[in-house]
Amino acid sequence: MAVERVFDHLRAIATGAKYLFLKPRLTLMYPDEVEDLPRGYRGMITYNHETCISCSLCAMVCPADAIKMYLPKEVPEGEKRPKRYPGINYTRCIFCGFCVSICPTFSLQHSTIHDVSFYTFEEQIFRPEEFAKGPPKPQYDKEPVKVRVIPDEERGLRYERV
Amino acid sequence: MSEFVETISRSEDGRFLELLIGPQHPASGHMRLVAEVDGDVVVSLRPNLGYVHRSVEKIAEVKKFLQIIPLVERPSLADTTANNLAYVLALERLLGVEPPPRAQYLRTLLAEINRIHSHFYGIGIHGVMIGSSTAFMWAFGDREPLIHLAQELTGARITYSYIIPGGVRRDMPPDFPDKVEKVLRYIERRLEDYDKLYVRNPVVRARLEGVGVLKKEDAIRLGITGPNLRASGVPYDVRKADPYCAYPDIDFNVITREEGDAMARFLVRVGEIRESMKIIRQVLKKMPDGPIFAEKYYKMLPPNLKKYYEETKEVKFPGIFANLRAPAGESVARVEGGRGEVVIYIVSKGGMNPYRFRIVTPSFRNAVLFEHLVRNVRVADIPAIYGSLDYFPPEADR
Repeated sequence: MAVERVFDHLRAIATGAKYLFLKPRLTLMYPDEVEDLPRGYRGMITYNHETCISCSLCAMVCPADAIKMYLPKEVPEGEKRPKRYPGINYTRCIFCGFCVSICPTFSLQHSTIHDVSFYTFEEQIFRPEEFAKGPPKPQYDKEPVKVRVIPDEERGLRYERV
Repeated sequence: MSEFVETISRSEDGRFLELLIGPQHPASGHMRLVAEVDGDVVVSLRPNLGYVHRSVEKIAEVKKFLQIIPLVERPSLADTTANNLAYVLALERLLGVEPPPRAQYLRTLLAEINRIHSHFYGIGIHGVMIGSSTAFMWAFGDREPLIHLAQELTGARITYSYIIPGGVRRDMPPDFPDKVEKVLRYIERRLEDYDKLYVRNPVVRARLEGVGVLKKEDAIRLGITGPNLRASGVPYDVRKADPYCAYPDIDFNVITREEGDAMARFLVRVGEIRESMKIIRQVLKKMPDGPIFAEKYYKMLPPNLKKYYEETKEVKFPGIFANLRAPAGESVARVEGGRGEVVIYIVSKGGMNPYRFRIVTPSFRNAVLFEHLVRNVRVADIPAIYGSLDYFPPEADR
């Protein structure tokens, strides 16, 4: 019994030691390496003002009230009922993508951008005009290496340079 | 408050000492444990819950039906699919919608991927609580390939919001089965390493074997669900007792153990990872072709969206989803999540919001176990028992 236990101890230590000599396996060295995300990743949202029909379905379906319909800053002369367009508040957005799924004209789409930081609360609220310019680009100290994540039998995940 | 004062005064003979564990950690998470100790022996332990109560049930009453999907995912972040699925099943029963077979299989696929990484989460936390940080690092690392798979399927890492009334939001990518197979082989190999490093490790066995024994009768009487119940020898699994999605067509075993101690609860989880891998392989093999979105809602889509759906197999919501109305009535659905049975009950008065919404999470049922199991044990056994329950405070507090 005691001998068996000694072997169990040794086996446990040996198993741990085996991984001492393997290179770091799963860690993605962010921000030096950045994942090249596939299409369909639910990142920050892009908005096409040209095709938007102002149906406000996105604002209605938004579970976090992140999308609101805004009146244009300057209402054209003689327009009695100016159209409202969507703007987004990224302090509230939960990236569920319901707005993208419900948009009937494909005006809202996901980008793969997700790692952006802001200094103030107000910066994160995008009115329709700013929303149409697209999400801000992430700022890296130096240009990161883009890697593709590939499931691997040996290592779980493997990172391959794009 | 008065209750606490009482406790202190009762032990005024100086024999017992009140020991507060948490809420700022020793591995307690967002919860406080009030332990009464006699030297090194815990006389009684009272969990003090509610630190992360977020009022999910009340918020649900002012949210529209579709908006509740992300909301119910929030309480249990490691096991979002179970809540998502339970809610949508209940809603579909109200709406009278039946999802197509392929959608059922895709739901099962995601639920099982989620179950594996939820169990790894539990194993990792359990490991670090009893001082094996290697197990913690390994388990959290090995969650990653599974989270990556789920991300390929749904577009998000944790909060999938993948299951919607009438089906799922997108079909799996064509090369998905190959990737799943690779990850499963990797997990299989890793489980052998876990066996050597952790399961058969004498230190771990000394900490867990015979600790916190839950008897079969007590488990039933206290209403415990999930792996904690099965570790006490009760072969109860909602997937078998009340089958949903593709589970009736799938062949799998309910893992049980007779011991009922912390080690048994841990080993049931490991066994369930193996069973989930079996289920995933069967699901991928038996996956039928066909639509992934119910005919009822598909018909409501305008022609350009129908075309998009046919080409990309990505579901666009019909406009009705923004203000979905459920007919008056009530419905209930239950699902076997990673931690146990999730029950969701909806009362609708025919409007856009539920009149009453109830969510019973497995962790809440498991909370009573602390009081029951942590009696006449050593202080050092508290984390060993706590970790073995895979208790998740936000899920219990809701």
